[in-house]
Amino acid sequence: MSDQIAAALRADSAASVTDVAKLEKLRGQRILVTGGTGFMGSWIAETVTFLNDVRGFGIDLLLLSPSASGFAQRAPHLASRSDITLLEQDVRDMSALPEGVTYVIHAAGTPDNRVHVTDPLRTMSTIANGTSAVLHAAAASDDLRKVLNVSSGLVYGAQPLDMAGIPESHAGGPRPDSISSIYAEAKRYAEAEAAAWRSQAKLPVVTARPFAFIGPYQGLDKPWAVNNFLRDALLCVPIRILGDADTQRSYMYPSDMAYWLLAILAEGVPGTAYNVGSPDGITLGSLAERIAASFENPPEVVCRPLGEPRSTRFVPDVSRAQSMLGLQVTVDLDRAIQRTLEWHRATGAGR
Amino acid sequence: MSRLLVTDITLRDGNHAVAHQLTTHQLSVYAAAADAAGVAIVEVGHGNGIGASSLQVGEAALTDAEMLAVVRAALTNARMSIHVIPGFATIKKDLRPAIEAGVDVIRVASHCTEADITERHITFAREQGKEVYGVLMMSHMAPKEVLLEEARKMEQYGAEGVVLMDSAGAYLPVDVRDKISYLAAGISIPVGFHAHNNMGLAVANTLVAAESGAYIVDGAARGFGAGAGNAQLEAMVAVLEKMGFETGVDLYGMLDAADVCERELVEVMPSAKSTSIVSGLAGVFSGFAKPVDRVAKQYGVDPRDVFFELGRRGIVAGQEDIIIEVARELAEKGSSDE
Repeated sequence: MSDQIAAALRADSAASVTDVAKLEKLRGQRILVTGGTGFMGSWIAETVTFLNDVRGFGIDLLLLSPSASGFAQRAPHLASRSDITLLEQDVRDMSALPEGVTYVIHAAGTPDNRVHVTDPLRTMSTIANGTSAVLHAAAASDDLRKVLNVSSGLVYGAQPLDMAGIPESHAGGPRPDSISSIYAEAKRYAEAEAAAWRSQAKLPVVTARPFAFIGPYQGLDKPWAVNNFLRDALLCVPIRILGDADTQRSYMYPSDMAYWLLAILAEGVPGTAYNVGSPDGITLGSLAERIAASFENPPEVVCRPLGEPRSTRFVPDVSRAQSMLGLQVTVDLDRAIQRTLEWHRATGAGR
Repeated sequence: MSRLLVTDITLRDGNHAVAHQLTTHQLSVYAAAADAAGVAIVEVGHGNGIGASSLQVGEAALTDAEMLAVVRAALTNARMSIHVIPGFATIKKDLRPAIEAGVDVIRVASHCTEADITERHITFAREQGKEVYGVLMMSHMAPKEVLLEEARKMEQYGAEGVVLMDSAGAYLPVDVRDKISYLAAGISIPVGFHAHNNMGLAVANTLVAAESGAYIVDGAARGFGAGAGNAQLEAMVAVLEKMGFETGVDLYGMLDAADVCERELVEVMPSAKSTSIVSGLAGVFSGFAKPVDRVAKQYGVDPRDVFFELGRRGIVAGQEDIIIEVARELAEKGSSDE
């Protein structure tokens, strides 16, 4: 990764940290991130290193992953730092927190839905047994101050079409008997186990429910609409909208995501869940047009009428994070698209 | 009016009917005729798809590259498709060169209970920006609940639709209605149907599929395909249009293309022969018709008995070796009974 790209990621992180005072509790702390070398972990590392270098936070960051070695290739500017330690371990095998860890962000478990259906048992085991291992270890630690359990917006099940944004209080849920629900059901279990630990052992656990994101460190091979649109456009082939063009999604830029997660870790109330994402829904049709318009020679947008239209909606209500923690979306969608395309062009990632 | 996506499989499934010996001239003249008829997708290749030419399942007269080049040159509007079975086709050796040769549509197939094996191929094809469908072969062998689960996997991998293949021509119309409507209600991407004519039901079954919510329908001119052949494309188009479906295919053009097929491609007109009916009843892959006939002769046994025994054992494509084993055992049993 070139210095120029690293500098751009740093600038993104700096711009998203709108109120550094919200993160003061993390100053001088030792933070463990499970799933630490993935998309979320990489962005948390970007923000933490900004806090350390520019704001003198002195955070010691530990990134735990079963395959930490590839991280050095993807993000050498992070992997080579003295304030970042890579730990190669399967989260399910964790018996104790590394010494001195005071905060834990538990983000292990891939959101790649292809993996969920091909290897559902491993998916469930990583989330359920991994969460169990982390919470056991956290409860046994004398130093621990808080755990952030990273759940998923998918725990709500299908969003009613007439609901603009899903609030944290929504009592929906996925179908438990569907192969497509494996990840969401496992995340529901993980939330339930966290609630049990909080109730029985008074473990301070706060929950984040992430929705959809668009940005650097996200591979274009992921089978999600926005990734496919970006990939088609970068390949100079028509952007194809599969299914219903009226389907609504919303996308947050990951530097905002990382700041929100750290703010929830620092200031979130244990026992409370916070949605993390953009509240601004956009149809897939409009999203494809916006991506196309960001090219000098805009690719064609094709929406073939395949079968019966079936639009869906996946947009969070983030008023809780806004009102309780003062969090805001700082990167709008056009800027997010522009920054994402710049990163893919510069790194050749996803092609 | 419901619109359908018609896939012309004459130059792929039809290759089964001539032991994969279609020539460049045959591919070229038929592809041009289908293109002129307004068929949306023209599929080409060895009967078992790209990368499949081998001693075990039959060596093709042409390489994949030769087939793709000649059909690519003959198509103006139609999209060129390939059938891909992971195991026969590898990404590096087969899929990547096919994409470089100008393939537009990639249909990645697996046995109906093994969609997991399609993940890498579907992912790769999507990464290349191609139109990708999942195909569940021998779909009569699994209940609709299993088919839905496998179809959901393909949907998650990035398939734009899932086609149920009645590879053995074993479906009755009631089966088609049951399975297609169940899938169409259970996944958010289109469903398709690919018929074989073992029991003379291919066109009727395709019509029922369309009425039950299928969007993708496969057919071959004159039914030129494995075993008893496929849904006869020109008849299928005529019937579907008459029933109010929009196929996008010009009837006269399709009739002309079918004449080209009969004149230039067909050696023996596919029909529901005795062994085809038996293989449909037994639920055995239509492509087994020729090898079963040949092996049955060799061992002096009744090919109908071979089919029923293959069906009893649940044998699927790729297990051609078992035909000999079954015939030999039947022959031994016959001689010991005497």
